[in-house]
Amino acid sequence: MGELSLLSNGVNPVLLVVVPLALAFAVPLIGFVSKKIIKYIPVVAFLFNLIVALLLIPSVLKQPIVVKIGGFAPPFCINLVAGPIGILFSALIALAGLLVSIYALNYIREGPQEKYHILYLLLLTGATGVVLTGDIFNLFVFFEILCISSYALVAYLGNKAGIESSIKYLIQGSVGSSLLLLGIGLLYGQFGTLNMADIANQIHSASSPSIFVPMVLMITGLGVEAAIFPLNAWLPDAHSSAPSSISAILSGIAIEVGLYAVIRVLFTIFDASNFLMFFVFLGVLTLLIGEMCAFSQKNIKRMLAYSSIGQIGLIVFAFSIANTYGVTGGFFQLISHTLGKGLLFLAAGYMIYRSGSMDISTFEGMGKRMPLTSLFFTVGAFSIVGLPPFIGFPSKFMIVRAALSTGELLFTILIGIVLLGTVIEGAYFFRVVQVIYFKKGNGNPERKKAPISGLISMFIFVILILVIGVYPNLITKILNSAASELLNRIDYIRSVLG
Amino acid sequence: MTLELLLIVAFGGAFLTYFLGKISPKLRNSFAVINALALVVMTACLYGQTVEKTLHFGFLGMPFVLRINMLSWFFAITIVGIGLLSIIYSLKYIENEKRLDYYYFTTLFINASMLGTIICGDLVSFFIFWEMMSWSTYLLISYKGGDKALFAGIKYIIMSIIGSLAMLIGIISLYTHFGTLEISTLAVQIQGASLNYILFILIMFSAAFIIINAFWPLHTWLPDAHAEAVSPFSSILSAVLVRKGMYGLYLFMYMILGLNILNKLKFGFISFTGVFCWIGAITIVFAALTALLQNDSKRILAWSTVGQGGYMILGVAFATTLGMAGGTFHILNHCIYIGLLFFVAGAIEYRTGGIRDLDSLGGLIKKMPITFIGGLVGILGLIGMPLTNGFVSKWLIYKTLILGNRPFLAFAAFLGTWGTILYGYKFIHNIFLGQLPEKYKDIKEVPFTMRLPIIILTVLVFLFGILPGIPLKMINIIGVSLGFESLNVSLGGITSDSGTLNTINIFAGILVAGIIIWLIFKAGRKAPKVNQYDSYAAGAAIPKGKYHYTVNFYNPLERMITPYLKDFVDAFYIKITEWIQNLCNSVRRVYTGYVSNYVMYIVLFLAFLIFVQLKWSLW
Amino acid sequence: MTLYLMAFFLFLVGLYGAVTKKDIIKIILSIGIMGYSVNLFLILIAYRTGAIYPILSKIEDLGIPMVDPLPQALVLTSIVIELGITALLAALAIRIYEKYKTFDITKVRRLKG
Repeated sequence: MGELSLLSNGVNPVLLVVVPLALAFAVPLIGFVSKKIIKYIPVVAFLFNLIVALLLIPSVLKQPIVVKIGGFAPPFCINLVAGPIGILFSALIALAGLLVSIYALNYIREGPQEKYHILYLLLLTGATGVVLTGDIFNLFVFFEILCISSYALVAYLGNKAGIESSIKYLIQGSVGSSLLLLGIGLLYGQFGTLNMADIANQIHSASSPSIFVPMVLMITGLGVEAAIFPLNAWLPDAHSSAPSSISAILSGIAIEVGLYAVIRVLFTIFDASNFLMFFVFLGVLTLLIGEMCAFSQKNIKRMLAYSSIGQIGLIVFAFSIANTYGVTGGFFQLISHTLGKGLLFLAAGYMIYRSGSMDISTFEGMGKRMPLTSLFFTVGAFSIVGLPPFIGFPSKFMIVRAALSTGELLFTILIGIVLLGTVIEGAYFFRVVQVIYFKKGNGNPERKKAPISGLISMFIFVILILVIGVYPNLITKILNSAASELLNRIDYIRSVLG
Repeated sequence: MTLELLLIVAFGGAFLTYFLGKISPKLRNSFAVINALALVVMTACLYGQTVEKTLHFGFLGMPFVLRINMLSWFFAITIVGIGLLSIIYSLKYIENEKRLDYYYFTTLFINASMLGTIICGDLVSFFIFWEMMSWSTYLLISYKGGDKALFAGIKYIIMSIIGSLAMLIGIISLYTHFGTLEISTLAVQIQGASLNYILFILIMFSAAFIIINAFWPLHTWLPDAHAEAVSPFSSILSAVLVRKGMYGLYLFMYMILGLNILNKLKFGFISFTGVFCWIGAITIVFAALTALLQNDSKRILAWSTVGQGGYMILGVAFATTLGMAGGTFHILNHCIYIGLLFFVAGAIEYRTGGIRDLDSLGGLIKKMPITFIGGLVGILGLIGMPLTNGFVSKWLIYKTLILGNRPFLAFAAFLGTWGTILYGYKFIHNIFLGQLPEKYKDIKEVPFTMRLPIIILTVLVFLFGILPGIPLKMINIIGVSLGFESLNVSLGGITSDSGTLNTINIFAGILVAGIIIWLIFKAGRKAPKVNQYDSYAAGAAIPKGKYHYTVNFYNPLERMITPYLKDFVDAFYIKITEWIQNLCNSVRRVYTGYVSNYVMYIVLFLAFLIFVQLKWSLW
Repeated sequence: MTLYLMAFFLFLVGLYGAVTKKDIIKIILSIGIMGYSVNLFLILIAYRTGAIYPILSKIEDLGIPMVDPLPQALVLTSIVIELGITALLAALAIRIYEKYKTFDITKVRRLKG
């Protein structure tokens, strides 16, 4: 493949991108042999990815691994930069992909299943590619792979809601990606290179308007996928019409990868520290609008989708505070949101299947009919609200600490508003928990659990939520190095360019 | 006997009970009782120790500290005591409900979390246990199902979360200022902070504690929650859970801030402690008068809880030795007799099939004598009759107010007692005295496991009333540890310069007088026994059901005070909730559904960003 | 410079179509126009005055300035991506016609709020 630098145990980060991609193309071929094996292929792919990512963590914490494709040296080559952020995200993507593909073993039963698995592998390849790449056009390409796979997967079920959501998502997404490409073109025209580190090195040598316009275009283009306030109108429709395993991946991985791209562009390439004040307000606005819209929903997946918008607002707020605590808190909240929201969507998937409709009032008495699934849903709900001893609590704790440690009155007032959003969040989640457990249902009261593959993946989510919630020191080391990589862009530039 | 072992037994017992319940109900019941008993024994063993130890694993770089001193022990023994009695009581009471494993698990879990809040020594673990207590209480309030219980549960958890989040801001603000969250270190370092900052922190923390302890104006969750929860759990709620707010106030005002800063917090003639005293006074009067108007037996008791809390804060916030002793003793006393009264109300509910409506009960004294004695003693304690423990604590509080030259507060306290006498009598009369309705002719006394807690608590009321020295000694140690002077405590009461209280003498005097009266009564003639329906009605038929005077019990008084006594705070909160709901519904209209609007939003966002740059040149 | 402005104007034409048109087919065409205008913009960035194509076919071409080949690779990639998007849009438009019996996107509004 090319020269590698500074590998100590011989594992190549390129495998993280290549293996799912190759398996995605191998799925139709294997499908000729036997149709039953197909659904196990994503499980194998992401198990492999998870193991590779976990093996790479120790060496990445010392020094980011830079993989030069094609043997050229940067800034002329396309390179992958596997730093702490990249490996953290890759591990998270692999973990979520693995668990949701185990869930989907039994959940996806109708429709063109072969295409589902191909698109699923492509989606997560795109996501892993976005977080590992060091070149902006490569970012664009992988980002488009991610987006197009998600457009198709939203329409998977082929019903009216799915088609409508998909076309609305598609129109907005393609407008966004055109803006993104325009921004990339302007940036290339200004600096003559596509390498992120190289542009970051030269960014201050150009005049302000010619830097500002590409930045604004790229942020808008990436922000459509990242679900920042006015750009996220596609999200409630898309996440509520997709099948539940895809909703879990979209809410848990796709928008977070989009947010990663926005953060990478803002912090590393453009070094925009003053502009972040605007993002502080934008984050709080997104949070409030997301939570307020979620409060009045009757459809459970739409409610969870709006809750995702709210959480993204919180994460944008955390990153915009731009001190160490803020960035660490933002990464921690990303992890807690993936785990929590993934669990919620998976649990809701089987509950919807059992009760036949997505309306919350049909979930009455679900606590007796599906006891384990309801318990897992409650754990996910408490984790998102931020109650101890689940993972949502240390992440919210870190964000509040970040806001208060700036010492300014403005941030104290803003964190008060953010916590008001948490109260609203608590109101609608507790309402759903009450409907599940404490209202007498009038449906069939027999107890039928969800299939074992679904229960296993939800159970692993719950274990992770509890363990990391009680003992968050397990992951603070990698979070701290991720935060320092984001804030110290000079080290990033130096490690790539040499 | 270590503190971690206590926590492990408490939490582990809760989980083990749940799993044992899947095997066999009897095994689960007996294990629950054994677990609660073990906790009582272990806590009793910790008496008198002052231990502080740091656990080796911390949370995000902050160490967990566990500690116990006399104040914590005092609260802990009330928690495990009422927990044990409540579990014994619920063995029979809750037999016929569904999902008993869940009920026992949640009750034990709540006890364990409350124990956790008491014995921790740093603010992070305090907050963690506090939140766990909040959400598990919410799960148990909603246990009964039905619209009212669910509404009560949501009201409780929303108000509790608002308080907890205010406390979170306070805790993290302390952390960023001082770099540590251990209580003992903070107590030293906070002496050097500016008064404005201390006031801000105090307001944040007090919000949480005022909400949990249900002082006016943040009391609105309590009547609904206590009335709609199942009775054994109502007694835990009233007796110990709301007093976590008092523990928090102790922790914060005295242990961390200390007396000197507290006395310095004055702005003109309004001092911080003065505000608390007035909140207490308003709570007492408002609750006592509202309780008069209630017709539901558990609602009367719930409003009573609100009112008695006012007495406690009145004593504690006064910041003198006598006041502190009075307020703390009142916590213990109130815990005993309100637990007793909720057990009594639950016993009535159990035997009459869920009737809580006071207008339809009556005359049960003949059928349920032990319950009646329990109820009578509870009401006597609530009123503060001499020989009961309520008398001692109320005596201390009145003395504080009079010695402190605060006539209005003293008047409020007396008004509260007067109201307490009235609603106490209404409770006793409407349930037990008077004529027995036909449909309750065959009611029996409650089973033994339900009688046992009632009997134990009755004995405790008298024991602490006649020999108040036993708890007063502990309270004295608490007072000294918080910086007050020591009281001169003897077994029978307190001797101080301004007057002596010696309950043993009072008891001896009443005993002698009682014996003399009984002898006179014995020597006289017996009154003839008359049948209930043997009455003269001028030849008309005797209406059997209409003898009993319950409806509109205090009609003249009610007519006077009802116009002034609407719970306008509750209506205000409900109005705010409706307003927020309308706001949320209208925010939804941003997402119109037309995709051209959505693309327009993208373009407008781009234009707005460029506008921001042109106007303010941020980059 | 004017060429850049005209490419940008073409982009605005596409954007106008995407915002104001009601017919799905016209929206697809507008999105196509937006994509092509961005491709045009990238090619314009690559252009150098008086340069020849960037292929070394004769040895005399060694010193002559060449146009920038990199954006041409970007454009090829971008064309392929837009092909995928257009195909997906067309397929969805057919499905919408099957379900809703109309191509008017303002009638496709079941999910809102």
